[in-house]
Amino acid sequence: MNPSRILVVEDNPKNLKLVRDVLTYSGYEVIEATTGEDGVRLAHESSPDLILMDLQLPGIDGAEALRQIREADEIQIPVVAVTAFAMNDDRERAFASGFDGYVEKPISVRALPQQVRDFLRLRGTA
Amino acid sequence: MGDRPESVSVEEHEQLRRDFAALTEQFEAADGVLSAIGRSAGDPETVLSTIVESARRLCRSQAAFLYLLEDGVYRLNTSTGVGEEAIRFIAEHPMAVGRETLIGRVGLDRRTQQIPDVLTDPDYGAFDLQRIGGYRTTMGAPMLLDDEVVGALNVWRSEVKPFDEREMSIVTAFAGQAAMAVNGVKLVQQLEARGAELAKRVGELEALRDVGEAVSSSLDVDRVLSTVAMHAVKLSGTDGGSIMEYAERDRSFRVRSVYRTQPDVVESLRSIRIDLDETLVGRAARERRPIVVTDLSRTELDPHLRILHDAGWRSLVAVPMLREDQIVGSLIVRRKRTGDFTEETVDLLETFASQSALALLNAQLFQELKEQSAELELASRHKSEFLASMSHELRTPLNAVLGFSEVLLEGMFGEINERQEEYLRDIHGSGKHLLELLNEVLDLSKVEAGRMELEYTSFDLGALLGGAVSMLRERATLHGIELVVEVEEGVGQVYADELRLKQVLLNLITNAVKFTGDGGSVTVRAVRDGSDIDITVTDTGIGVPEADRERIFESFQQGGRGGSREEGTGLGLTLSRRIVELLGGHMWLETEVGRGSTFGFSIPARERQAAATSEDGGPLPVGGEVVVIEDDRPSLDLFRAYLSRAALQVTTARDGQSGLAAVRRTRPDAVLLDIRLPGIDGWAVLKALKEEEETRDIPVIVVSIVDERTRGVAMGAAAYLVKPVGRDALLAALAGVGVPVPAHSGPSTEAK
Repeated sequence: MNPSRILVVEDNPKNLKLVRDVLTYSGYEVIEATTGEDGVRLAHESSPDLILMDLQLPGIDGAEALRQIREADEIQIPVVAVTAFAMNDDRERAFASGFDGYVEKPISVRALPQQVRDFLRLRGTA
Repeated sequence: MGDRPESVSVEEHEQLRRDFAALTEQFEAADGVLSAIGRSAGDPETVLSTIVESARRLCRSQAAFLYLLEDGVYRLNTSTGVGEEAIRFIAEHPMAVGRETLIGRVGLDRRTQQIPDVLTDPDYGAFDLQRIGGYRTTMGAPMLLDDEVVGALNVWRSEVKPFDEREMSIVTAFAGQAAMAVNGVKLVQQLEARGAELAKRVGELEALRDVGEAVSSSLDVDRVLSTVAMHAVKLSGTDGGSIMEYAERDRSFRVRSVYRTQPDVVESLRSIRIDLDETLVGRAARERRPIVVTDLSRTELDPHLRILHDAGWRSLVAVPMLREDQIVGSLIVRRKRTGDFTEETVDLLETFASQSALALLNAQLFQELKEQSAELELASRHKSEFLASMSHELRTPLNAVLGFSEVLLEGMFGEINERQEEYLRDIHGSGKHLLELLNEVLDLSKVEAGRMELEYTSFDLGALLGGAVSMLRERATLHGIELVVEVEEGVGQVYADELRLKQVLLNLITNAVKFTGDGGSVTVRAVRDGSDIDITVTDTGIGVPEADRERIFESFQQGGRGGSREEGTGLGLTLSRRIVELLGGHMWLETEVGRGSTFGFSIPARERQAAATSEDGGPLPVGGEVVVIEDDRPSLDLFRAYLSRAALQVTTARDGQSGLAAVRRTRPDAVLLDIRLPGIDGWAVLKALKEEEETRDIPVIVVSIVDERTRGVAMGAAAYLVKPVGRDALLAALAGVGVPVPAHSGPSTEAK
């Protein structure tokens, strides 16, 4: 069975490297994008199984990128928000924008593979 | 025929008849005068002309006059039987007291007299008038009032024919009547004047009241000032006015409000700066007195006066507005014509200016406060925005610091040696510390901004204390510190924000361990105190010196408690105290240097206490634990209320992802699961729970708005409820799947 392919959209190079290393180590194939526009393009071109999307991005932000991904065609893969916002309503804002879930920064190296596994497994059962 | 009555001669008879007719006429005339007086009490002119006309007729003369004494001369008031030329001449030549005229003589002698022929009288001097009037015999009587001469009544004959005694007495009597009528006029005039004075006072009081109302109902400076300007102009009977505000910083006045002034002049007035030292308005203020300018064209003009003069204003009063000798502003009223202002007007304006000064001062003060609070609000908003963005900016690099050190510690890329591991733990620990600091700063800013939301649930306080203590047991054991938990019986369940309460407890216990020497002890105690629950953390540490007891609750103050083993954030106590206050309690400190400290706080016991007590008053057995996953806030609150009241322990989650995490963490006796959830939906959560080893046996009760019972049961749900769900149905379902429900009278199982 092919490893699941995960698109990570993150503008900070160090954090991108961290997520890539952790997920690669856990056996996933990782595709990287550093802008929302790239993220939207790669979502179509590389047919990932899951997208991890930073909310604050240069150019179009995470919520707008998600909207374009959902709007353009029938991509129904789970898209999870990665948020460094720490105020009360961040979680609700992510859901309101249509994300399937959220991962809070700083990410937990131990918990991230489990979280990704959950999202991959749970999607498509509804 | 006898000679007694019949002996009266025809001439005598004729004389008697004439006498009788004259008396009758005299009587009728007097009666006419009296009734005229009676009829026309409010119209003295009619009375006086009736008197003058009657006197002329009864005395068989050509003309009659009534003079009134004014300013030492006799001025014509009423006349009859004389041409216009004579009237004009008399009006232009009022008669002085003296022997040259009959009126002068009457005034001098204060008695009725006549001049049988003015042309032969040696002392007579008014020949100009005689030429115009053409009279020869003239007779007059003084109008006496309380022995004072107030005027004279005068009759003329154009031939030399002296008046007889009867005629003189008629004129005397009529002069008396006229005096009384004039007195009536005076009384009326006095009354009218008094009434006018009263009306004016009322006007003034009303104006002051209006200003007072403007001040109390509006703290709008401009509204207050325009009210003041308007009333000042109206009350002083002037044509326009303005109010200036004084600014101490540049020692000058600026026009703030203008009333009844040409728009272009208003513009000019507003554009200039009126210097305290170099203008008339300034001089009035410096000398603390009003200054009157009676003629602007004969005054040295400063820039302010120049504008007024060029716009056609001619006189003004500048009244300084003072408050406790401090210059507040200036009130100016002006007229288009030259002339003085009465002392009364100036006094009135002064009163007005002093009242208005207070109004202006209040309004200014309010304006300043308003501006300051707007600034503060803005600053506070900037602070919140700054904190939110700082939080984001700091978390991003922290993410890399924590993440990469974890990657290495996990040995993902090969083994590391002991020294490397130690340093990596230092890096990771410092990163965690920074994150904690960041979270506390954010929490604190949330509290200060009133944006911290509390999530109330019912939970077992003893379990919370035990949990918090166990997190620090390792560290305490390392230093040989004994950790003790004492929970008084009957404390049991509390209703509060569990996470926030735990945050406070952890902070206090961490501090206690930190500041207690090796081999000491830390005791965490919970007791019931009336309607409150008191929780105390007592250590055998170094104590807090007197000087620091308040200060340590402030941000970034750790007090003089040296000897701490590790750094803190310096925010923990501040935040803890604020959270306790939000929970409706308060925090305190009892301490003795060298002996130790007790940090304590109280929280209200709340309704839950009563519900969690059984009917005989004894504590209830602790009920089962339930995780409720429900995104709709009202439904969630309702479920929580039902379950808490049944003495069940509740954990809530508002989306599938955190619901799943909560179930994995708490391993509850049952799960209440909504289907429509944001992100991962209820079906996915159910599937995940049933797939995982650790959660497979936890019964799940689906609570949904749609009836898909078959699907639910097929996927492994223990029960399926369709909303709306009542309390009894809910508790019965829970009991049905094996949850201990202590406070429910319905069907229940004893225990799992």
